[in-house]
Amino acid sequence: MHGSCMAQEYQTLGKPLSSILRESSGQGNFLEYQPGDTIVHRLNPVTKLVVSLGLILIVFMLPTFWGPLAIVLGLAFVTVMTGVYRPVAKILAFAGTPLAVALFVIQGLLYPGNETAFLVIGHVPVVHEIVFYEEGLRFALLFLFRVLTLMISLLLVIVSTHPKQLTTALMERGLSNKAAYVFLAALQLVPIVQNRSRTILEAQQARGLDTKANLVRRFRSVLALFIPLMISMLIASETRALALESRGFTREGERSALFSVPRTAYDRPLMLVIGLAVAATVVWRVLP
Amino acid sequence: MSLIELEDVSYQYRTQSEEMAIEHVDLSIGKGEFVGIVGPADAGKSTLARMIPSYIPNFFGGDFEGHVLVDGVDTREATIGDLSTTVGMLFENPFDQMTGASTSVYEEVAFALENQGYSVPEMIDRVEWSLETVGITDLYNRNPNQLSGGQSQRVALASILALQPDVLVLDEPTSQLDPEGTKKVFEVVGELDRDEFTILLVSQDVERLAPHVDRLVVVEGGRIAHSGDPAAVLSELTDEASTIQVPTQISVGNWLRERRFVDTAKPVPVSYEDVIAEVKAALGTENPHSRTGDEPEDETSDRGDDRSTGQQAISFDSVTYRYSDAVEALSDLSIDFEGGVICVIGQNGAGKTTFAKHLNSLLTPSEGAVHVRGKDTRQHRVAEMAREVGLSFQNPNDQLFHDTVENEIRYGPENVGRSEDEIRAGVEDVIERLELESVRDRNPYDMGQARRKHVAVASVLAMDTPIVVLDEPTGGQDAGGVELLGSIVEELAEEGKLVIVITHDVDFTAQHADRVVALRQGEVLLDGTPEDVFGQPSTLRKTNVSLPTVSQLSLDIGLSQPVLDLPELFDVLERRLADRVAGS
Repeated sequence: MHGSCMAQEYQTLGKPLSSILRESSGQGNFLEYQPGDTIVHRLNPVTKLVVSLGLILIVFMLPTFWGPLAIVLGLAFVTVMTGVYRPVAKILAFAGTPLAVALFVIQGLLYPGNETAFLVIGHVPVVHEIVFYEEGLRFALLFLFRVLTLMISLLLVIVSTHPKQLTTALMERGLSNKAAYVFLAALQLVPIVQNRSRTILEAQQARGLDTKANLVRRFRSVLALFIPLMISMLIASETRALALESRGFTREGERSALFSVPRTAYDRPLMLVIGLAVAATVVWRVLP
Repeated sequence: MSLIELEDVSYQYRTQSEEMAIEHVDLSIGKGEFVGIVGPADAGKSTLARMIPSYIPNFFGGDFEGHVLVDGVDTREATIGDLSTTVGMLFENPFDQMTGASTSVYEEVAFALENQGYSVPEMIDRVEWSLETVGITDLYNRNPNQLSGGQSQRVALASILALQPDVLVLDEPTSQLDPEGTKKVFEVVGELDRDEFTILLVSQDVERLAPHVDRLVVVEGGRIAHSGDPAAVLSELTDEASTIQVPTQISVGNWLRERRFVDTAKPVPVSYEDVIAEVKAALGTENPHSRTGDEPEDETSDRGDDRSTGQQAISFDSVTYRYSDAVEALSDLSIDFEGGVICVIGQNGAGKTTFAKHLNSLLTPSEGAVHVRGKDTRQHRVAEMAREVGLSFQNPNDQLFHDTVENEIRYGPENVGRSEDEIRAGVEDVIERLELESVRDRNPYDMGQARRKHVAVASVLAMDTPIVVLDEPTGGQDAGGVELLGSIVEELAEEGKLVIVITHDVDFTAQHADRVVALRQGEVLLDGTPEDVFGQPSTLRKTNVSLPTVSQLSLDIGLSQPVLDLPELFDVLERRLADRVAGS
């Protein structure tokens, strides 16, 4: 599929075919594709994945926190410029903050290589004083920036890539259509289950189910929700299997893709740069 | 040569060990035929449909005997995938047949085409064509999981059409649609090019389907009871006590023939246009206006008066409800209810279900207030309101979770704290009313959808609440089921309860309602007796509701007030025709 960057733009319903993906309404998932038309959005999804993995490899090989810090700052800059920082920032605040606190406290106090006191808090009852050590804090920073690199780069890929583009690109590289389906269906599963649970809960409340009653009743209320949910999901999955089958999902032979994932002028150079960077880091850190 | 051939086919589902689903069926369908398959609930209609794309025996296990040939291929020797380009099938449940992996309707419709390896321009052509044919081009960028039942049904139909299979098998394609939507789908299917498509359509809506089909096949008890020209089959059905709702036009046509106003050799009218022409011809066209003495006796409009309790059971005071800033489902709605049977009608999306959920505080108004028997719904939890209002939902599968019918029915009354004696009496009462005695120890999920719906209704009635709300109780029911629910609704009202029925079924409304409320875009469009409301067909059309055929006929022959059932119509016709004979 080389040269697909030259692919002509098809028109449908009076607009470019690819705009269908940009317009498709969201799921209300907390981690969701944010439409846009920046360089990051336009890059081939495979390139984005490879660059992310490259950066993650590099930060885990670097010995001090300065390198990872620079990469995190760079990624943060790109994320802000791409305009998709809102969901990324939310998740970082939600998952990153407790991680950072735990890292600083545990490593600062207990890191095995701790020698140099950095901060001493005196007059503490029972333990007399608390000492944070420089070695532990440095290690905490290193680990934190490594994890942040991993989180930001992968989140950036997710929110800047339409799931359909990601699977199309991966299928061009040999991913099976079944794996692609499982990935896409899993993304949609949560809102589907949420909708169904809400409907069932309403039907049971209408029959006097009290979600604020004593323990025995609450246990029964779990059953009242769980059983219809399971049965309806089972029926749904059976019907869906049939629907997929009858749409030729398991058919052998050549498939086509409605959307093509073009390559931009930046894809090859970026892959080359990240490849060289990883190689250089390996030479520097791993080889003697 | 026939395209589809069933040779002495019998089938038994693995889960139903006692009964055969299909027994010794022979059927042959020619290329380009449009065949309507009708019959009572659980008669084997869907089972028959599932054999064409080889779901039986390839997907559903069980005992399968005989042979099904599609375009010369024995379905035993083909896979579902092999047949997918020859036979496209639409299932009854509109939600479950979405792929679940598309973010837009456009992708959903293209899914099957990608699997077949069509080129992009070919896919674009086919997707555009099928979206336009079904009339859902404007939905192209919507998420398939966020569509209503009616919209999903049309998306599923478009996905099947995109493959342009030789044979279309459609199982209840309009079960979630309002009457206008149903009419449109039947028209779309009826207008498909018969050089390319052979069509089998399963439906309960005989009246709307019959004018479009070439042949009607009636399935009863797993066998083919009748098969042939729709007019001939349906007039055979009027002669026997049938479980199939015979269309009004057929009954009227037969009546005219029995009374020798129309030559008995002439085929019975299947479409509305034909029947109104016959009636007008029999009456003489110079006699379009009604004279005094012609009007039906006004016995129905006061049905509600003696049932009302005098106190306001429910009052809506300037109620507005918004799902989000953009979507206003109810707009400044003010209405009071006292007693009797109230039917709420209106197109898909008119706000009927949102309205129903306000009755037991599942939803509370964004603005304004709802009072139910003096209680402000905002001040009370749903579980508390359940003592006053019993609400049965459209889909029984959302409610049922006990292992026997009896336990299922006990659940509601136990929750609202009735005493053991009351519970036992209540349970026995509803089991008798809904004719569930023979299945009281069975698991609800081993029964057909129509029966399961009866269990769901019973489980709400057993709570013995002063107000009963039923959402689409007649959906998927056959003639017997509709009649049973109708008589229960009337009995409850006689006992002094307020019964509110949310429905698309205008015939049910005409026969059982004391008061009809038509909603449109969250506002009350019409509110009055069935005669009042069905006397304003042009206003009703704004919310996609068409009149019951009897009412339409009575207006079209010049009555100022519509009649609501066949005996009434025949009375009027009898008098008119007698006048005419006497006058000539």
